Amino acid sequence: MKASVYIIFALLFLGCAHGNQAVVADGPGAEWNPPVFLTAAGVAPSAFESLLRPGVLHSEKDSGKEQAETGDEYLEDVPAGDDEYAEEFKGEEEEEITIADPLEPLNRAMFHFNDRLYFWVLKPVAEGYNKVVPEDARISVRNFFSNLAYPIRLASCLLQADFRGAATETGRFVVNTVWGIGGLLDPASGKDLDLKMQNVDLGQTLGTYGVGHGVYIVWPFIGPSSPRDSVDIVGGYFLYPVYYLEPWYAAWGARAYESVNDTSLRIGDYESLKEAAIDPYIALRNAYAQYRRKLVESRGKTDEPPPGGVRAGAEGIINPGMPAPRRMQISWELAPEAEVNRVARMPASDTASGKEKRP
Amino acid sequence: MRTIAVFAAVLSALSCFGTAVAGGMFGPPQPVSRDAGGLHTAVGYIHYADIFKDGADHVIRQNHIYSQAGYGAHDRWEIYGRVSMSDLRISDAFGSANDAAVPSRSDFEDRWKFFGTLGGKGYYPFGSCLGMGIFVQASYAFGDFKDGVSGTLNGAPFATELKLKDIWDINFGIGLQWTVPRGVRLYAGPFVYYAEAKASPSPAVRGLALASEDVLIRNKTSAGGFAGVDIPIGKGFRLNLETRYSERFSLGSAIVFVY
Repeated sequence: MKASVYIIFALLFLGCAHGNQAVVADGPGAEWNPPVFLTAAGVAPSAFESLLRPGVLHSEKDSGKEQAETGDEYLEDVPAGDDEYAEEFKGEEEEEITIADPLEPLNRAMFHFNDRLYFWVLKPVAEGYNKVVPEDARISVRNFFSNLAYPIRLASCLLQADFRGAATETGRFVVNTVWGIGGLLDPASGKDLDLKMQNVDLGQTLGTYGVGHGVYIVWPFIGPSSPRDSVDIVGGYFLYPVYYLEPWYAAWGARAYESVNDTSLRIGDYESLKEAAIDPYIALRNAYAQYRRKLVESRGKTDEPPPGGVRAGAEGIINPGMPAPRRMQISWELAPEAEVNRVARMPASDTASGKEKRP
Repeated sequence: MRTIAVFAAVLSALSCFGTAVAGGMFGPPQPVSRDAGGLHTAVGYIHYADIFKDGADHVIRQNHIYSQAGYGAHDRWEIYGRVSMSDLRISDAFGSANDAAVPSRSDFEDRWKFFGTLGGKGYYPFGSCLGMGIFVQASYAFGDFKDGVSGTLNGAPFATELKLKDIWDINFGIGLQWTVPRGVRLYAGPFVYYAEAKASPSPAVRGLALASEDVLIRNKTSAGGFAGVDIPIGKGFRLNLETRYSERFSLGSAIVFVY
């Protein structure tokens, strides 16, 4: 029943990406990969509108090292003519990414609902869980659930005719299940095997076939989405083995635990982003639109890491070598905290871009 | 060639022990974990055979499939734990000790039950190629093995169920290791062990071997020999082949992944 509602809703809005109420996000273009982390239970953290502007964030490829080098002196010591970030994004400001938002009043309500859910329920529970369970154990739990989501990634790869990706996913699944103690460990991502998780989902698959984004939707409990990407929610319901647990409350209990576990690994990230954003709702919407577009565009470029920090093996941001696991959740991986703080300290004139069309 | 000849000789010498074995594979004396310290995991299979006794001898056969995780460091020590599943077959468990009892069959069989194993080993090298190690390893079955049999006793029909519970074993051994080119490790050594299980019939049927009363069965002999080879196969994987002999030969293999 629920699946039918999703499908009908998706069909209604598919292809509406260029509707009358489209808004524009002026992302820095291909060089910028929106910082991504997994939202817990899909309770999407909002955020970081200012991070989307040219000159504020630079490529993730450089962010870790350079940030460490510049640190807090970034704002004070860089002469105007030597702004390497402005140079980096020069010529890329033409790119515009749009997403229609005719449901904005409803979406804002859902956004605030998710926000309250996070602060009132999820975060307190995750903090308690955080105190009693060591981080390594929580990472292992995340690996375990990520490993279970293999059918979703396999189906997505096959539907995209990405047989190399499908083989990689299958290899990962076998290695992590057999030698990773049922998926608790992730030996496949190690440098010896170097089998990186494929950052694919069913919504992205539709995108690769040319299906439009559709309108922006914020689902309660799940977070930012679109009709196209909501297909991933429906598909995940059938392909994610956890949902086949009996009785039904065991399945949803497992999902709730998975969400709490994921949240416990990211406590504080959402708060930092929220502080850095002028309008968290718009920030998240823009970032979402850009991220999903980059995700679709990244397919077929197998030599490049997918956007959004699902850069398995990359040092640093949230969980090196253990990329964002599942479907059904938009993965927004945070920029390093220091970078967020740096942005938060920037003068308003630098962080408020005139290109942003706000409702 | 000379290496193989020596290895064969050691294996032959161990066979002269003529005694049995219990538990899972022992592995090479030298830890497989990275020198700086690290995890390793493994999956393995061992076909295990031995003779237990409670007056009469009973050949026990098991097929163990196990998953192992371990940690070691400095090429000196290693600890590991295993979760395994195993079936069990005991020959002549329902055998008739007299003409009064006529069971429909004589062997005890049950399917997969969980086992847990803990072990540790220490290693001391005598140079770049030769080294010696000791190990201790203990296993316990978390489930009871059950099987039922029917038949006639003095002409009257009967049916009984035999339960084997609290199966455990402990092993201690010394291994000598020789590392040959390409990182291949050959190892062999003696070990001692103790294993037991409680057999409990419900109801007891007089005249059936293990089903006539509650009995404790133990391994017939307490020492044996083992030998094996550990081969690096690339990408962090190693292949471990091992054989043991006590009352019967046991054979096993495992693929180890070193983190």
